[in-house]
Amino acid sequence: MTQQLLSWLDERLDLSALQHFVSEKSVPVHRHSVWYYMGGITLFLVGVQVFTGILLLLYYRPSAGEAYESVKFIVSQVEFGWLIRNVHSWSANLLIFMAFVHLFSTLFLRSYRKPRELTWVTGVLLLFVMMGFGFSGYLLPWNELAFFATKVGTGIAGAVPGIGHFLLRFLRGGDDVTGATLTRFYGIHVAVLPATMTAILGLHLLFIQRQGMSVPPSVERREKAGEKIPQIPFVPHYVLHDVMWWYVALAVLAALALFLPWELGKKADAFAAVPPGIRPEWYFLAMFQVLKLLPAHIVGLEGEMLGVLGFSLAALVLLVLPFLDRGAGEGRSSPLVTVAGVAALVYMVVFTIYGYLAA
Amino acid sequence: MRPVIVRTVLFQALALAVFAVSAEAQQPAAATGCQTCHASQQSATLATPARDFAVTDVHRERGFSCVDCHGGDPAASDKAAAKAPSTGFRGKPTGALIIAVCSRCHSDAALMRKYAPKQRVDQAAEYATSVHGQQLAKGDTKVATCVSCHGAHGVRPVGDAQSPVYPLNVAATCTKCHADPERMKGYQRAGAPLPTDQREKYEKSVHHKAMVDRNDLSAPTCNDCHGNHGAAPPGVDAIANVCGTCHTVFATKFALSTHSLIFDRGCVECHNNHDIAQPSDAMLGTGKEALCGTCHSEGDNGFKAAAAMRSGIDTLKASIRLSQEQIDGVENAGMDMADQALTLREAGNHLTRARTEMHAFDPKLVDAVVSEGMGLTAKVDAAAAAARNEVSYRRTGLAISLAFIVLVVVALQLKIRSLERSTSGSRL
Repeated sequence: MTQQLLSWLDERLDLSALQHFVSEKSVPVHRHSVWYYMGGITLFLVGVQVFTGILLLLYYRPSAGEAYESVKFIVSQVEFGWLIRNVHSWSANLLIFMAFVHLFSTLFLRSYRKPRELTWVTGVLLLFVMMGFGFSGYLLPWNELAFFATKVGTGIAGAVPGIGHFLLRFLRGGDDVTGATLTRFYGIHVAVLPATMTAILGLHLLFIQRQGMSVPPSVERREKAGEKIPQIPFVPHYVLHDVMWWYVALAVLAALALFLPWELGKKADAFAAVPPGIRPEWYFLAMFQVLKLLPAHIVGLEGEMLGVLGFSLAALVLLVLPFLDRGAGEGRSSPLVTVAGVAALVYMVVFTIYGYLAA
Repeated sequence: MRPVIVRTVLFQALALAVFAVSAEAQQPAAATGCQTCHASQQSATLATPARDFAVTDVHRERGFSCVDCHGGDPAASDKAAAKAPSTGFRGKPTGALIIAVCSRCHSDAALMRKYAPKQRVDQAAEYATSVHGQQLAKGDTKVATCVSCHGAHGVRPVGDAQSPVYPLNVAATCTKCHADPERMKGYQRAGAPLPTDQREKYEKSVHHKAMVDRNDLSAPTCNDCHGNHGAAPPGVDAIANVCGTCHTVFATKFALSTHSLIFDRGCVECHNNHDIAQPSDAMLGTGKEALCGTCHSEGDNGFKAAAAMRSGIDTLKASIRLSQEQIDGVENAGMDMADQALTLREAGNHLTRARTEMHAFDPKLVDAVVSEGMGLTAKVDAAAAAARNEVSYRRTGLAISLAFIVLVVVALQLKIRSLERSTSGSRL
């Protein structure tokens, strides 16, 4: 049956080139091969987000008067609504976690080196888009914590030199977080970011397929020395491995959704006192904590503004890292990148924990 | 008419005639010759009033000066000329003259409208009906007059937190005299000496806690039950009315009861007056702490009614607690029970209503409310049971799904190994 369908399609579309690509494509096997699957898991979670997001759209109402009630309706009245909402919330967090794992594994294995600079750039852009998804999606249930965290978050955006005020008003749809902010975040979450992500993700996957899997420099050196590095066929071996990891991720998601349901909290009330423990999502917490610790003024400049500038610079450095570490492409070791990567990782872990304990 | 009353009325008329109101401006009054001279006196008795008046005084801030109460000529540079009888100088008003001086403005509706349009102008009339006013009319000059509570110089508005008549300060102001056994010696009520422990008792009361601990300024203090300008102990027949000013529903229920005909002291019979404790369910019933046993004994109808009402209230209270535990349990498992929490809150309202209904001392009325409340807890319990089933269903579903996923993972792993074995030759 499958064979008949393929023949039918081949007659019309000439699939021989694709068949050739698939049959010839192979993936190297070495002691770091496990990190290859991190990107695949991230991609799977993106799929979960799209699927559950579309289902949530069927009931969600993006207005200050109805958003909270509609989410409440989803989790309490809609058949399996609780599962879909919990999976969407948990998957969003696992997705960003896996994206970070993918990023750091790529960084430490120097997979960004020539000729894969653009794959790295698109990957970092995807991470930024995913964080944008997280930031905009956090507000959508219109609950108290999200409301005040968005107030703080957009306030930080207001500290960007020069364009801060414009950025703040652009994000909030006014001077304060209101129903206009919710509508705006909704539009960004379900239209602007998905379109952007589709384009960048398409390029990212295209680059990977075009260039194949990168091998770590140590493996590359062995290969250059004449050693034959084992390979497995992409189809079916690698694909089956990928699918197996996806199933594991699915099991983790299902267990989290059932045993640690995502709380809805209280409905946002602009006139209520700011509740204690206001903090952003965990992936912004390390940055948030640093901004909190900075003094009001540093050498005559606003501390928060300097902090935002510092993080913007760090993001830029991350984005163009392959062009800064040209030596990696030429086979030279770059210990500075390893040290910076470890420092960034330690900073993120320590300050995220500190942020939770301090809140 | 008794000579003392005639004297008082004549005095008031004289005061009104002498002190023609002159202060029209609402600007604070400038320091006068009286203040300048008095403030520099060595004697604290002479200097302090002038200094207090200069610092904060609602009258000075409205443009009034010493002469408006004391008479005299502030422009005169000589003491004798300033206090000459022709200037209408009256010195320090005492006793009934204080009432006359204050009421000259405070009983004048046309004048008061210019300064405090919402303020009442019947203080002097009320005062005349108070125990203080009546004693004063009898010639007792120890009793409180306007200045005893409001102060004479440095008078602050009632809403000023530092005013002696600000709600938080009223008990201290009243008990300046009423807690002083020496001062209260000789005063009697219903043939017994007037007690001096009212403040001590009041500070143990639920009303004092509400006012001081929760800063609830609407909670009652002395004047809320006794009146302020017309201060007098509420009569026996008025106690339920006085308590009912705030506790309206309780008073209505109590008025329907047979106890309203029997209790000599109304609400006070069970709740006391100054030391009103936080009411509890233990006060009702037949237990050791219950008050019903004070009059009722085992076997009589009142005893049975008390036991029945207490039992109904206890049953509903226990049912609400159990339902809350069930809600908490299923909420911990991730179920949304917000609607049931609202229903349970409504059951809590029924418990409050049952506690209110008991003031009619009719078990049937209490039972009706308790039954409605039990109906609500039953609905909550049913919803909690359904939610528990749902949690169980979800967990079973998850267990099956996880088992399926594990099976697939194992199958995939086996397939991968088999593929790797078959292609191991090509990898080398």
